Amino acid sequence: MLEPLTQPLSEPFFVRALVAVALSGATCACLGAYVVLRRMAFVSTALTHSILPGVVGALLLGVSPYLGALAAALLTAAGAAWLASRKGTSEDSAVGVMLSVMFAAGIALMQQANSWRDFAGLLFGSVVSVGGDDLLVIGATAAVVLFGLRALHKELELASFDEEYASLLGARPALMRVVLLVLVALGSVACVRLVGALLTTALFVIPAATGVLLGRTVPQVMAWGTACALAGGVGGLYLSYHVPAVPSGAGIVLCCALPYLSARILAPRR
Amino acid sequence: MSFFASLSRHLSDAVFEVLPSIPYAPKEKLGCPGNAVEASGLSASARPDGPIAFRDATFAIPCGCRTALIGPNGSGKSTLLRVLAGLTSIRSGKVLISGESPRLGRSRIAYLAQRPHLAEQFPLKLRRLVQMGTYAHHGWFEECRHGDESVDRALKQLGLTELADRPVYSLSGGQLQRALIARAVVQGAEVLLLDEPYAALDQPSREIIDRFLFEQGHAFTVVMATHDPADLGRFDRILEMRDGSVTTRHACSGHDHRHA
Repeated sequence: MLEPLTQPLSEPFFVRALVAVALSGATCACLGAYVVLRRMAFVSTALTHSILPGVVGALLLGVSPYLGALAAALLTAAGAAWLASRKGTSEDSAVGVMLSVMFAAGIALMQQANSWRDFAGLLFGSVVSVGGDDLLVIGATAAVVLFGLRALHKELELASFDEEYASLLGARPALMRVVLLVLVALGSVACVRLVGALLTTALFVIPAATGVLLGRTVPQVMAWGTACALAGGVGGLYLSYHVPAVPSGAGIVLCCALPYLSARILAPRR
Repeated sequence: MSFFASLSRHLSDAVFEVLPSIPYAPKEKLGCPGNAVEASGLSASARPDGPIAFRDATFAIPCGCRTALIGPNGSGKSTLLRVLAGLTSIRSGKVLISGESPRLGRSRIAYLAQRPHLAEQFPLKLRRLVQMGTYAHHGWFEECRHGDESVDRALKQLGLTELADRPVYSLSGGQLQRALIARAVVQGAEVLLLDEPYAALDQPSREIIDRFLFEQGHAFTVVMATHDPADLGRFDRILEMRDGSVTTRHACSGHDHRHA
């Protein structure tokens, strides 16, 4: 009776995918708590989408795609910050400009590489191809991000809740924003293999949005978000294993949406 | 479950053991130098490229003196308070607050904005908000587990003990204002800069704040922007701001309220 659950576990690729999904799901859910609470969903979308030109460029140049992805995400964050620092451009539109420019650059580069097919996994994710090296990168990224979130927890919480008081204490809220953007860039690099550049932002937003409905403190939001990401991640992998028509990335995101919807309907009103 | 809880507690504590703790800002000079605030020829504007809010202001506020800041809307009361808090830079002149030029990162000065910009629907309990005041005595890479006693005391002083576990977003305006004052108390502030704290307060909250500010001697220096003429009798000194200038209308009642 349990065969549909146990049978996939005999496949090494499936076990690797489970570990990868658990690690990056927890990372993104914890980071996502701040993304959602600070209303940075659009910025996170821009960072995750800008990974596309980074990875394609890296493949064309023959360097590690993870490095390319990280460089592109950081470039997007820095570019948006610079554009928004000029009068007359709101942060919202600065992010919009960077998002579309980077994504268009990615499409142009893909044309250069002359092979759309290879990049399907990049756009939509492909857990089947997660290897030992990928697990190492995902694990290291998760460690760095969770370490950073823990070490700066009180400053990040303070800067997100009351930016002016953070300034008054000298706790550098502007620096905390930069730190958060760098961590989101790192987190998206860890996820791109699993759900693809187009859907990575879902892992930041959906579990954390579930957490916000259920948690009454920031650590509680992170815990509920992680639970949602794990349930959605594992569910999505099984779904795409048994229904090959559903790609794993899409399966994960769809399965994350279920706990969100349940929480939305069942959570007590604030 | 308790195994995982204690494992995660140990792991998260380990983070702080490998990192050095760094203070947010340089240490302040201790003790009140006689005048809590001393301004000479001070000019400032709300925004760096905006019009001058007040010019050539010269005044002093002795330590422990409770000062009302009055004047019509737009006369620069908020700008003056923000200058003293270190949030707005001065155009010209000189000002000392507790013996030093205004800057950010001073735990002995607390500022309460007229409309604090707090994140909406943020998952935070009232106790945690008040506890944020203790951050002033910590720094980067430190978790604050101390200070619970001072938090409890401040919650009690401002009549918030029963609300301590309520989420901040469920508080009324008056309860929130009291919580922010409690945070300033926990911070150990000696100078309270309050920008119209009574605006939109219900009577009970107003009475609790009043009792706290005016009925326990001269524990701290208060500079409060206010519009209420009925209030003024309780202040030791009144600074009037009008047409870009600042005048002292009423001096502190003779004796020196110097801090120990």
